[in-house]
Amino acid sequence: MNAPAGLDFAGIPERIQSEVQRAIQRSIKGVEYFSTSGPTLGSTPKDVLHSRGTMSLYHYRPMSDEIYRIPILIVMATTNRGYILDLVPGQSFIEFLLKRGYDVYMLDWSAPRPEEKSLRMEDYVLDFIPDCIRRVQQDSGEQDVSVIGYCFGGVLSLLYGSIHKDGPMKNLICFTTPIDFREMKLFSNFSDRRYFDVDRLVDSVGNVPPEMILSSFEMLRPASRAASQIQLWENIWNDEFVKSYRMFDRWATDTLPLAGEYFRTITKDLMWDNKLFNDTMSVGGRAAKLEDIKVPFLHAVAEHDHIVPYEAAKHLIAKIGSEDKEEVMLKGGHVSLVAGANAVKRLWPKLDSWLGKRST
Amino acid sequence: MTDKSNDPIAVWQKMVGEMEKGFNSFANQAMSSPEFSQAVNRAGGVAAGAQKQLGELMEKYLVSMNLPSREQVIGLAERLQSIEGQIGEIKSMLSQMAASSGVSQGSDAALRPPRTKRPPSEGGEQT
Repeated sequence: MNAPAGLDFAGIPERIQSEVQRAIQRSIKGVEYFSTSGPTLGSTPKDVLHSRGTMSLYHYRPMSDEIYRIPILIVMATTNRGYILDLVPGQSFIEFLLKRGYDVYMLDWSAPRPEEKSLRMEDYVLDFIPDCIRRVQQDSGEQDVSVIGYCFGGVLSLLYGSIHKDGPMKNLICFTTPIDFREMKLFSNFSDRRYFDVDRLVDSVGNVPPEMILSSFEMLRPASRAASQIQLWENIWNDEFVKSYRMFDRWATDTLPLAGEYFRTITKDLMWDNKLFNDTMSVGGRAAKLEDIKVPFLHAVAEHDHIVPYEAAKHLIAKIGSEDKEEVMLKGGHVSLVAGANAVKRLWPKLDSWLGKRST
Repeated sequence: MTDKSNDPIAVWQKMVGEMEKGFNSFANQAMSSPEFSQAVNRAGGVAAGAQKQLGELMEKYLVSMNLPSREQVIGLAERLQSIEGQIGEIKSMLSQMAASSGVSQGSDAALRPPRTKRPPSEGGEQT
């Protein structure tokens, strides 16, 4: 009998042996998986400079002998925890920045408490961020501050920067930041004003529950959770794969609730009326136009971003008023752009070369 | 080692990947329709209403059991939060006073590196 074309009979015993070994490893490692808690995340040494309700301001301890004059404030997205930027040593964006000589602060969020359901966009843009900037100035002794905003943290940073056009923000970097919310097609459809009664939802639940936020993210790729669990089982013998899976899975499912009033504004002003894109956005009665941002600006976007598609982010660079501005598109998705092995090779060095010369 | 195109495990993995892509794409198309939005939001509205009613019922039950109501617990939390805030402010003021009087705080403040770093191209260094 002839072998079917292309089938390598000689390699079959070796392949069977390898699969049997992996099957044994899977059983052993599978038990380990359920009996251990995974790597410790966000362990770069830091001090809590200030904490107020949902808001926390961290200062990371410097890791180099001399640091750049201008400190960095990272503004995290309000839906997720900041430790995505500080996973484990060797895969931590924060650690990278510290070793490259930056003085790093982070505005991170915890779940808003029930009584914080009335927090508005004004509280985030006109109170929390300016308060943190003041504290960074005070702590560092420097007037200038560079701001890095990730995802919706980028939107908040844009709103802050367009309203506080006279400073003290010295440089602005946004990672995967949407401004044209019509182009976030599925989110736009989920929140279709004809069917989505945001007032009823917020008035009923107060803060928008994290399960709702998480399921709306997961609905963007409904098969991916099941597929990733199949991949986990196949690769459970591989310690590096499991470590990486656990880090990202823990972060992705550690979604935060959103303050009710804040969510109402996001839905009405951004999702429905697309005000940031249309230059009609205002916060607390103060106009927020992107053309008023004049500081050096870098926007990093991901080629395969399924949460913030490029169409939703691409007009930002044109709308920003700065003369010194650059958009960089890198391979990867919404999260792998900023964290993990790809980010180590792509985004981080790019950011360092751009920001270093603007931080003296 | 066998060629990946002949390896049944690699073929299986590829198939799972393709199925994932295909299902995601199909589901995304289905979810783009107004009918989907209508159905999801109708279900969501019912769930939110039910959650509110259940919350109110639980509140009444707790009061009847002579247990602290949610409002009271939130009141306590607010007072704690206010105390935390005030402690933070006092700590911050003390740090400022210590810094302005030149007293070492024994923390990293006195050990901060100088802000003299130049980018590699300017200083000629390679980090």
